[in-house]
Amino acid sequence: MQRDVGSLPLAPALRARLVAAGFQTAQEVLETGPCGLSKEIGISKEEALEALQVVRQECHSDATRTAGAPGTSRKCTALELLEQEQAQGFIITFCSALDNVLGGGVQLTKITEICGAPGVGKTQLCMQLAVDVQIPECFGGLAGEAVFIDTEGSFMVDRVVDIAAACVQHCQLIAEAHQEEDHLKALETFSLESILSHIYYFRCRDYTELLAEVYLLPDFLSEHSKVRLVVIDGIAFPFRHDFEDLSLRTRLLNGLAQQLIIIANDHKAAVVLTNQMTTRIGQSQSTLVPALGESWGHAATVRLIFHWDNNQRLATLYKSPSQKESTIPYHITPHGFRDVQPPAVTQNPEGTEMNPRKRLRREEEK
Amino acid sequence: MAAKKLRRARLSQELCERLSRHQITTCQDFLCLSLLDLMKVTGQSYGNVQKLLCKVSLACAPKMQTAYEMKVRRAVNPSSAFLSTSLHGLDKVLHGGVPCGSLTEITSPPGCGKTQFCIMMSVLATLPISMGGLNGAVIYIDTESAFSAERLVEIAGNRFPAYFDSDEKLFSMTCSVYLYRELTCGSVLKRIKSLEEEIISKKVKLIIIDSVASVVRKEFDTKLQGNLTERSNFLARGASLLKYLAEEFSIPVILTNQITTRLSNGPAIQADLVSPADDLSLSEVLDSSLQSHPLVRLPKNRLESSRILLEICLAGASGGRKRESGCVTAALGNTWSHSVNTRLILQYHDLPTRQIRVAKSPVAPFSTFFYTIEKSGFVLQGDPILKVTGGIKQK
Repeated sequence: MQRDVGSLPLAPALRARLVAAGFQTAQEVLETGPCGLSKEIGISKEEALEALQVVRQECHSDATRTAGAPGTSRKCTALELLEQEQAQGFIITFCSALDNVLGGGVQLTKITEICGAPGVGKTQLCMQLAVDVQIPECFGGLAGEAVFIDTEGSFMVDRVVDIAAACVQHCQLIAEAHQEEDHLKALETFSLESILSHIYYFRCRDYTELLAEVYLLPDFLSEHSKVRLVVIDGIAFPFRHDFEDLSLRTRLLNGLAQQLIIIANDHKAAVVLTNQMTTRIGQSQSTLVPALGESWGHAATVRLIFHWDNNQRLATLYKSPSQKESTIPYHITPHGFRDVQPPAVTQNPEGTEMNPRKRLRREEEK
Repeated sequence: MAAKKLRRARLSQELCERLSRHQITTCQDFLCLSLLDLMKVTGQSYGNVQKLLCKVSLACAPKMQTAYEMKVRRAVNPSSAFLSTSLHGLDKVLHGGVPCGSLTEITSPPGCGKTQFCIMMSVLATLPISMGGLNGAVIYIDTESAFSAERLVEIAGNRFPAYFDSDEKLFSMTCSVYLYRELTCGSVLKRIKSLEEEIISKKVKLIIIDSVASVVRKEFDTKLQGNLTERSNFLARGASLLKYLAEEFSIPVILTNQITTRLSNGPAIQADLVSPADDLSLSEVLDSSLQSHPLVRLPKNRLESSRILLEICLAGASGGRKRESGCVTAALGNTWSHSVNTRLILQYHDLPTRQIRVAKSPVAPFSTFFYTIEKSGFVLQGDPILKVTGGIKQK
């Protein structure tokens, strides 16, 4: 109620007039009433009424916040967070070594960034995740949908068909081995056609379209509430050329990062971005570093770097708040993203690969 | 889409006028401002500004399609998804051939057959769909003046003798190949920008640029300061224009590139971490055929061949593999490698056999095929189509 007039979300001209007329707190504005307001500042009665409604709404939400009512507050204890995190699912990558390194898979409500040289497999992993997020819950997945924002044009439908077919086959094998009713029922809806229909594809040609799409994404996600994964394949590509004003670029990227974090939290979705590598020319040598600059490095919560070592592809977990840094090898097969060798223990495929929740609890018991 | 005027985004007239006073006329300018700036400039409240943002975003955001719709569209027109290279083994690995709607790059040392490949693809694109072609015209942007119309006719006549049985058919095929000679980076970029209208009017189904590397490396010396960024800018702009054309019209775009040596001891302009398939490791070739190296005989690109000859001599003098001190890989840098979707590398093997390698492809694993260059163009070894007897053409 004692809120300063200058901090109210009104039009700047209106704010200036209120301040010039001598109003200091929101309470004074509310007490005056629309007719008095219109006479004092010289605006029409309708405008005054509108302004009053905005002020009232602001004060009301302020009051609920200070009164400590739960509402939409973002305050909770660490215990509640722990329970939430444990109950949350992960999006598996079908490469158990990578899942282990990530602590179960790609986490929801976090931004994961994948950097790598050209041709190392970033888009392959994104396509794999877009299929894996749709695995039904009885097989250990999230039964979600995926949004794929493509800026480089490297999305190949044929490849997604291959990956999806392999995934469906994998689930069918598990269902045959275990013969449970809900498995078979889930398999009826988990088909190639349904997987492809739940990948929502946007092709953005430049950074303006990308910005526009990210502004519209919250509305899209409210309509399609089952989306659990947002992939932006190639966040670096539209920002890397034709930008003379680097400070503008930094500002836009920061704004994008903030919006994506809000989207990830509000809609309980995982956001996966792919980045390119660029050369940093040092005194005596040059190294390959992720593109888009140092400040962008702060945007992602989890950072994976894909690189080569002779003929082997390696993935390094470079930045993570909860897992330690490690490097693992992986393969890209005709079926998609996979381990280098199939895991030795395969008696309980459900336990090791498909149900990350079980695995997590076992680690806890240690 | 970015340059769309705000008027067409259905904002009110007075708002547009007010914004234009602050030099904000296109959607791009509008979306680049922060919320507070927008409030100041439009004079609206926070909630209203967010609604305006949604309106403007709706005007320039791309349309949504599901992966299923894309697959169905592909299935309806399967032949239009690829341009078959008529090399059976290669087509199988690439799931059909050179993909439409994305950029394909051919890289090789000089004289391996890049221009031959491009000429062969030009013939293939003009063939009717029943024969695996695209039944359309070809735009050939030549920066090295290496295109030979006689060779075009020779390949056509020898590869498809049953189809090109009359002179008339040969001439009509040559009428659909449009050749442009561009010698500077600026003119190449200008030409690419003008292609949109040409594609529609001439019903073009294939764009070839031979070669991107020669014109870029002539103009930009990366040792000079500032040239590296200029070069990347030019390449990135060219790449995005070509990608737009490829996707909009669903046609393949073929580009050729050269190779360069990366010395790891000197101040390298690009660092390592390149894909192993990209590393051409000429050292194998150097050891085996040092005596009669083909590069010595080639007339073109004397500068290039003499530079590589120097490398050969150095390698020979120090005796053996020089892998530690440098590796040979595709030119034009890392950023360019990100922009192309498919990369094929041609290399020497035991003369006259050469090898073609798939180094980067979203659908194909790394694979190698051996081929020779005949009168009818490329012939893969082990292909069901038998080699046409008759001498091996050097160039």
